[in-house]
Amino acid sequence: MIRPVHFRCCVGLALTVLAMAVCAEPAAPARCVTDDAAREVCLAQPAQRIVSLSPGATELLFDAGAGERVVGAVGFSDFPEAAKKIPRVGSYKRLDLERILALKPDLIIAWRSGNPRAQTERLESLGQTLYYSEPRRFDDVASTLQRFATLAGSEAVGGVRAQRFRDGIDALAKRYRDAAPVSVFYEVWEEPLMTVNGEHLISQVIELCGGRNVFADLPALTPRIGREAVLDADPEAIVAGGMGEENPAWLKPWRKFASLTAVRRDTLFFVPPSTLQRPTPRLLDGAQRLCGQLESARGRR
Amino acid sequence: MAGAEPRAPRFPWPALALLALAGLATLAVSVAVGSVAMSPGQLWGALTGGGSGLHHDLIFTLRGPRALSAFATGGLLALAGGLMQVLLRNPLADPYVLGLSGGAAVGALGAMLAGAGTALVSGSAFAGALVSTLLVFGLAHGVGGWTPTRLLLTGVVVAAGWGAVVTFLLTLGPAERLPGMLYWLMGDLTYAGNPGLPWAVLVVVCLLTVPAGRSLNVLARGPLQAAALGVSVKPLEALVYVLASLLTAVAVTTAGSVGFVGLVVPHLLRLVLGNDQRVILPACVLGGGALLTLADTLARTLMAPQQLPVGVITALLGVPCFLYLLYRSR
Repeated sequence: MIRPVHFRCCVGLALTVLAMAVCAEPAAPARCVTDDAAREVCLAQPAQRIVSLSPGATELLFDAGAGERVVGAVGFSDFPEAAKKIPRVGSYKRLDLERILALKPDLIIAWRSGNPRAQTERLESLGQTLYYSEPRRFDDVASTLQRFATLAGSEAVGGVRAQRFRDGIDALAKRYRDAAPVSVFYEVWEEPLMTVNGEHLISQVIELCGGRNVFADLPALTPRIGREAVLDADPEAIVAGGMGEENPAWLKPWRKFASLTAVRRDTLFFVPPSTLQRPTPRLLDGAQRLCGQLESARGRR
Repeated sequence: MAGAEPRAPRFPWPALALLALAGLATLAVSVAVGSVAMSPGQLWGALTGGGSGLHHDLIFTLRGPRALSAFATGGLLALAGGLMQVLLRNPLADPYVLGLSGGAAVGALGAMLAGAGTALVSGSAFAGALVSTLLVFGLAHGVGGWTPTRLLLTGVVVAAGWGAVVTFLLTLGPAERLPGMLYWLMGDLTYAGNPGLPWAVLVVVCLLTVPAGRSLNVLARGPLQAAALGVSVKPLEALVYVLASLLTAVAVTTAGSVGFVGLVVPHLLRLVLGNDQRVILPACVLGGGALLTLADTLARTLMAPQQLPVGVITALLGVPCFLYLLYRSR
């Protein structure tokens, strides 16, 4: 009598262990996504306390419907308005690790190329769950929204926003696919004069609108260039950001070069920098504006 | 190296003429080369008022003013360095040793942080330089009157203080402003703009200091000897300090804190020409101007269209040259 019982007991135990082992994958950590460093990030339940280590990630978290779970964010997390009230955890390049730990986060969104590596590795070694974010193309923005939503359990909101962004970009792509190419110089910064190469998301926006970035082939992501190189390239349109949201002052210095095609045709355009320079859904606003501007440049040929 | 008797029976006109020629040559090269290639014919056409609008813009709006600013800035810095080395009787002295560039940097970076435009950044840098000059002069005077050692120590400590403030400002700065701030700190002639002011200051100060070369020669040998030889030491030292500060302030206002020129050009010329201030000071103006013009031309063409900070080039050109001369000297 003893043996069968023992046997059954053993079988039962083995089955339980087996069941646990089998179920462990789908059931226990219900939420797994792959981050931009190609690591698997898993949470047992939806993230309740998120710390964001880049202003762009903060914005994306809000868009993914996880805004009110963000308990800490780095400086310059200024969009949407509610993001300004989130307690700060230092700047993206100098993190306040103590404050981050004190917030007891269950998910930290790190910025792979922006945060100091030593500090993010320290957070990992302290047992924190890190998601490395680095959206570099349009689809990364949409998929980041979905992934954030999965981790925070706000799939409904995130999915809709992601789809809206994808649809918007697709519509622009379709509309300008066969448009006549316009050569474009995009000015990221005035002193020193800086532009973007073809890898940069802004350059991808230019291409989306049927433009051609005249400095696409430079090796650096945001190369510093001379004014003379712009005169040499003689783009059909000059697009600049600015120091403020409505401050097209950087276009003024170009107007004294009458030899520039863009000056003769008056195709100097301003796009609020926050709608182009951050990889977030606002990129769609910037892209729509830029596409309209390049279309008007085509009309002035 | 500084002890050579300033005997110089014959004024070395050939050396100065050679430096002047070198200066003119660097200016010519600077106007002739850039991202846009121009044939000699096109260059001549643009210079004589004809030619295309593009070439006219290149020469009269971009390359010309920039080359002239570079030359003037180099001259200002080298002259200021030469004067500081005489004043402090210290071979390590350069235009920035007394904290002037630190004060200017705090002014300029503060203005950049506040989002100010080019004109305000320059004005703020100049104000910072003046504040620093007055601060060091006042503090060095102290209770017991000032000596070069005291001036040097005060300046070095004030410079360290400014350095901390600069680091603090860089920490506060948002990511997108940092490149501008760093380029200012490394020295950058892109936005030098109007070369009128640096040239005017350079010419006026030259006219004031070169005739005083004999007194400066005596001062370089020590205040007691100078006093014994009938030089009124205190007013002369004060004048040299004020003039060197003015030169440096104008230079940093024009191009940010371009390093190296002010320290090495005077030494380099002394190794070749001897330590006679009547020769060295004008030679500094020409040599410093030529070096910075050449360096700036290289900075904007070596990796064109990408631009390098000019300070990198001044050091790369000057260090081997200087070390070679120092090694060769007795």
